[in-house]
Amino acid sequence: MLTVSTDYPEVIRQRRGAHRLQATMLSDRDLGVTDAFGLRNQGAHSGPVGEDQAEALPVPTTLLVSADGVVLWMDQSENYQNRSGPEVVLAAMQQYLDVGE
Amino acid sequence: MGMKETRKTVGTTLGLLAPVVAIATFLFWFYTNNSVGIPENRGVFIAVFVIAIVMAVASFIVGTRWFGGVAAVIGIIPAAFMLFTVSISKQVVAEDAIKVGDTIPYFAALDDQGERFTSDALAGTPVLIKFFRAHW
Repeated sequence: MLTVSTDYPEVIRQRRGAHRLQATMLSDRDLGVTDAFGLRNQGAHSGPVGEDQAEALPVPTTLLVSADGVVLWMDQSENYQNRSGPEVVLAAMQQYLDVGE
Repeated sequence: MGMKETRKTVGTTLGLLAPVVAIATFLFWFYTNNSVGIPENRGVFIAVFVIAIVMAVASFIVGTRWFGGVAAVIGIIPAAFMLFTVSISKQVVAEDAIKVGDTIPYFAALDDQGERFTSDALAGTPVLIKFFRAHW
């Protein structure tokens, strides 16, 4: 599992414990990864603003990618207040990758 | 108790109730949010925040004692803030955004240890990639 956010590496490092995540967590401060995927939110910038803040945010998106790099499934929120719940993601993984229970 | 006093009591009660309704809903919202449970249809939340604002405004129209007025203003703040966040929450991606069936692009970034990570490391293994807004 891989996560992408606009946080600085040190912030991610500090917060990792809180989420108990074992994922590789990437810092995408300049939105390079977000833009490569076309996932920069073009709507209102609803994050904190200021010199030290990211200039935009990604649209919350979960992608399931096959071993050969093809997107098998994705889930995207229409508004940032909704997220893909764990049950939705697990169901997709079971369906497409034949893993987990 | 005269008519005027009765009105003031009604107004003050409305003013005092507004922040109770607004703050309780505000807290419930974040409690729900924490468990990834904000419903697709946020209509009920929106309605309750609107009701809180209407109660606060009504308390001023009817007339309120000073503490009812203070409470009403305190109630308007979280309710209006939440309505504002709802109003700007619509997400729009670029026209060429990734979609099912696409091959993911090459990418590189620093991980949380400050080490450079490139998408080459993903070759040959399925992966779940999650873009999220940030840790705050």
